[in-house]
Parts: sequence; structure tokens; C-alpha cells
Amino acid sequence: MKFIKNHLMFILPLMAILLGIEFFLVFDRTTNTYEKSLKEGYSMLVVAKKPLKLTDFKALNSHIDSAKSIKREDIVSEVAKGISKSTTKEILDALPYFYNVSLDSYMRTASLDRIKSDLEAHKNIKKVETFGSSYSSAYRLFEFIKFTLKLFIGFMAVVSLFLIIKQMEIWKYAHKERMQVMEIFGAPLMLRSGVLFKVAILDAFVATLLTSMFFIYIKFQWAATSGIDIMMQKQEELFRVTDIGILLGSALLIVIIAVYSVVFSSRGVQE
Amino acid sequence: MSNVINASHLTLAYDNGAQEIIKDANFSIKKGEFVFITGPSGSGKSTLLKALYGQIKPSEGSLIVGGLDLANISQGKLQELRTHMGIIFQDYKLVNEWTVSKNVVLPLMIAGYAVDVQNTQAERLLKHVKLSEHADKYPMELSGGEQQRVGVARALSKNPVVILADEPTGNLDDYSSNVIWDLMENACQQLDTTVLVVTHKIPTIFSLPYRHLIIESKGVYEVH
Repeated sequence: MKFIKNHLMFILPLMAILLGIEFFLVFDRTTNTYEKSLKEGYSMLVVAKKPLKLTDFKALNSHIDSAKSIKREDIVSEVAKGISKSTTKEILDALPYFYNVSLDSYMRTASLDRIKSDLEAHKNIKKVETFGSSYSSAYRLFEFIKFTLKLFIGFMAVVSLFLIIKQMEIWKYAHKERMQVMEIFGAPLMLRSGVLFKVAILDAFVATLLTSMFFIYIKFQWAATSGIDIMMQKQEELFRVTDIGILLGSALLIVIIAVYSVVFSSRGVQE
Repeated sequence: MSNVINASHLTLAYDNGAQEIIKDANFSIKKGEFVFITGPSGSGKSTLLKALYGQIKPSEGSLIVGGLDLANISQGKLQELRTHMGIIFQDYKLVNEWTVSKNVVLPLMIAGYAVDVQNTQAERLLKHVKLSEHADKYPMELSGGEQQRVGVARALSKNPVVILADEPTGNLDDYSSNVIWDLMENACQQLDTTVLVVTHKIPTIFSLPYRHLIIESKGVYEVH
């Protein structure tokens, strides 16, 4: 019972940190996909006096990714129903050129304003509509959710770190006497910290395994049957095999730092 | 006979030299010698012993043990040197979660001896200190005198060049103390091991003319 308790006291905070790391990875991946869809769904409208090519737009601002021309005939056909052909041609001749311009990334409204002013500097561009207000509110909401989750993950990491430091003190108390006696008799660092390393590495593997199992369950069981669209659509992003490596690497790094801290703080003979 | 320990103008201090404990001491100890170091409480006996096993570094002068100057010794060399020492403490410093047998073979374990060699040596040493029947017990199950005999057995397990004992009988009754003195005297006489014992007073059982150093007013002096 004491054995299990001792291990759990390190495994649980370590798991909390690993969960934080995995949540961050998952969130980063899903928000990247969401950001991509926001970016793809957004375009600004440019009205030009003369036809322009994509290279013309890119020369004005490097963030412009594509410029799709809106067929003027379609616009005229919508507004000039029942009008004679000659009048239609006159309207068509007088009509400016319309472009849907999309960007290479999802940007802040200040960046949008800069792109707008860059475009409006061109003599053939009459008007640029960025649809800034709706864009801005979606972006702010998105940023807020991102910030809140990162804050939560950070808070979780700090609390877990304190728990790990607490456990390190317990380790120090439990192993100090043995390590000091071994040091007096000339044991090298690796030999006197061997027992502690074995315990901690075992905990690192268990914490990684449990965290991975939790996310595998979320991915294949919970997300698949949750009925939540974003979860079902982004199921692939919820956990990747490479995440096991990241989690294990992080757990081992934490363990090595924790064990060495205990070993170095236990040096010298206790009076 | 060659010197195992040689101190020249040795100064030992705490607080980065602010608190001098021993100042400008000169002495040497030959191989196979049995030496008592005495002195009043707080005179620096234990500090000198700590310096001899490299726990504190000399502030000035040199302290050569086994040919190595402890004033300028690397961590690796110090570890190597300590494997040739047997150290006995007043509070025994046994590992309580290990059996008596495992405590005894700690120096062999550190030196990487095979398990069967360790077992044979543990059996021999525990017989020597008359604790064979306690091999599988834990230190807390033994009396103070028995624990110190385990400490002596541990100190002897790798046939050390030098045994450093810090008040080895300080917590023991007369009978247990005499057993410990006998064990250390035998190690010195039979194995030619250098034995340095820090103590408040020389036990009366010693009629043999062993060498005696005294620490007084920060100096280390020979008592004739």
C-alpha cells in the first residue's frame, strides 16, 4: 500500500503536467485547423478600375495569397434583367473590376488595415472592403479561447510542479541517509542515485502510459460517439503516435531534473 | 615505513576561512600505525577526521592521504581514495532499509565485486564480529553495540589502507566498547591497517604504547 502511495504521489503530478502538454498539442493542432478554415473562409473585396493580375496584388502586399476575379457579366445579368443588350453593354463597360482577395494567414485587424492601405495606394484600385468588424469579432473570440486554455494549462503545470517539488522533498528525506553513506564510502553519483532513478523512471513510464491511454480513449471512444461535430471531424488530431514520444521525453526530462536536484542537495555528511 | 598521512602547515576552517578550527598543523602517520587523536569538545577532532576523508578541504597547507593532496583533489580521485578507507562513526551511519549483511558489503558493492564474493566476505566478517546470526536482520533490530560492530565490519570489508573512527565507542557501554577496541586493534596488528581514532579520552584498557596526538588551541601536538 505504501509502495503504491509513494509512486502515485509522483505519478499524479507528473500526469497532470503530461496532460497539460498533450492538451496543448491537441489544442494547437485543432486551432491550427480551425485557423486554416477561418483563413480559407475569409476574403476581402477589391474594386479596380482596370484588370489586375495576382502578381500586381502580391507586389502591393506579400500576405496576399490569391486574387479571384468576380465575373462582371454575372453581376450585370443580376442587376440588368429585362434591359436591352446595348444598355447592358454600356453598364458592363462602366462597371469596375471586382476581386476576392484572400490572405496567406489569419491576421489581426491592424494587419488587415495595413493591407488595405497598401492596396489603396495603387492608382487603379478604387475601393477595398475588408469586412473588418465581423472578422475582428471572430478573431477576438478565437484568441480569447486560445488564451484561456493556455492560461489553464500553465496554471495546471505550475500547481503540478509544486506537487513534484513536494515529492522531491519526500524523496530527499527517504533517500538522503543511504546516498550520504554511499558517498562517504566512495560511491559514484550514478550508483548512489541508482535506486531513485529506477523509481522515478518507472513512474515516468507509468505516467506516460496512463496519459496516452486517456487520450487514446478520448480519440477512439469518447470523441467518436460524443456527437460533437468538431470532435468527430478532428478526431485524427486528438492523439498521434508521435505524441507518446513527446510525452515520454518530457516525463524523462522532468524525472532527470528532479532526481539530480535531490542527489545534489543530499551531498555531504549529515551531522 | 612510508607515511600514509602527511599534514603540512594545515589550516582547516569554516565560513570561507573566517572560522579557523585548526591552524598551521604539521604531523604525519605511518602505515600500520594506531593513533589516537584527543582534545576537548569543539577542539576540531571531528573536523580533522572530515578533512581526512575529504568532506572538507584544507584552507591552507597540504593534507596528503595515500599520496593524494586533498587540497587539490578531483571528485573522481576522492571517490577512488574513499574506497580504500574504512570509516566508523559514533552514530554508526548504517543504512536502515538494508540488512546487516548488505550494510557490511557496501564498500565491496561500490567497488563492483561479484555477489558471491560479497556474500562470502559478509559471512566471514560477521563471524569475525560475532554477528553471524544477525545477518538478515535490519540495523534497527540490533543494540547500539551490535550496530557499531556492523559499522566496524563494514569498515574492514575491503581491507582498507586506513581506518578513520570518529568517537566509535561514544554511545556504547564498557563491554561493547572493549569489543570495538579489540576489533580495531586486531585490524591494525594483523592487517597492517593504519587506524586513526578520534576520541574524548583514551580507554584505560590500552596499556600498549600507541601514539597519541592532541588538538589544543587550534594546534595538533604529539603527546609523549
